[in-house]
Amino acid sequence: MTRIVQSTVLPAPPEDVWNIIRDFNGHETWHPAVATSQIERGYLSDMVGCVRRFQLQDGAELREQLLALSDADHSFTYCLLETPIPLFNYIAHVRLLPVTDGNGTFWEWQAQFDVPEEQLDRMMTLVGDQIIQAGFQAVHTQLEADGPTNTPPHYAAQMQE
Amino acid sequence: MMARVFVSSVIPATTDQVWDRIRDFNGLANWHPGMRESRIEDGRPADQVGCVRNFKLQSGETIRERLLGLSDFDNSCTYAILESPMPVTSYRATLSLLPVTLGNRCFAQWSAEFECAPNDLGAVTKRLSLDVFQSGFDALKRHFGG
Repeated sequence: MTRIVQSTVLPAPPEDVWNIIRDFNGHETWHPAVATSQIERGYLSDMVGCVRRFQLQDGAELREQLLALSDADHSFTYCLLETPIPLFNYIAHVRLLPVTDGNGTFWEWQAQFDVPEEQLDRMMTLVGDQIIQAGFQAVHTQLEADGPTNTPPHYAAQMQE
Repeated sequence: MMARVFVSSVIPATTDQVWDRIRDFNGLANWHPGMRESRIEDGRPADQVGCVRNFKLQSGETIRERLLGLSDFDNSCTYAILESPMPVTSYRATLSLLPVTLGNRCFAQWSAEFECAPNDLGAVTKRLSLDVFQSGFDALKRHFGG
């Protein structure tokens, strides 16, 4: 089992980042590796269990299933069902945490998978650079293009019943 | 009333470097400007889960806290207040670190949950979030040159 964990800090609050990445079918609009994407069987893209079928820029087609989605934690988990790429038992998890000191976001993206030994380096690069890092960079660029946010700081104190 | 305070920051050092500085449950006074004169009660080791630290704030007030959990795997420390000048009960706090792989930095989060009278909540929240948590992070940022 191979595990990759990568993280970055973005200069906008979690709510703004979540608005970009929450939609399980929305990666065609923000992730540079994805050309087109559809949710199968007319499901809604925030129905846990839905499947996205999508095509990469090189034409490869993949299917991924949404395993968990939380607006409370700003997190989601998904697995790969079908792919022409030699990645097996692939599960990925994305989560956002507020950086209260500066009104930013800590974004962690991790993936675990099995891969044939001779393909390990190539798959580490594919997942680490072309999927995760490219995703971080694309959202960073989009936030900068959107300009300063109007979202108020994540308040340090939350009252609970 | 149950309340929660959450403060987080980014420290310009690796997770290992920051953890080295904050791991010692008896070492708060070494890195936090608001604390002094810490000792572990009953001569126990500072990384023995269950041990109690007894330290003073710069104001001279005494706080006693019990170590509930310490993880070198997660880089986190959880503790409860046994005695303090603050009007809180059932106080439990966690300080933890996560690596920011892009740029060799460290994401630090410090949160507390406690019971508190509604009239005291504003003052307690302000004291914890600014004088304790953010003040500690500011000291770490200064130490590591941020």
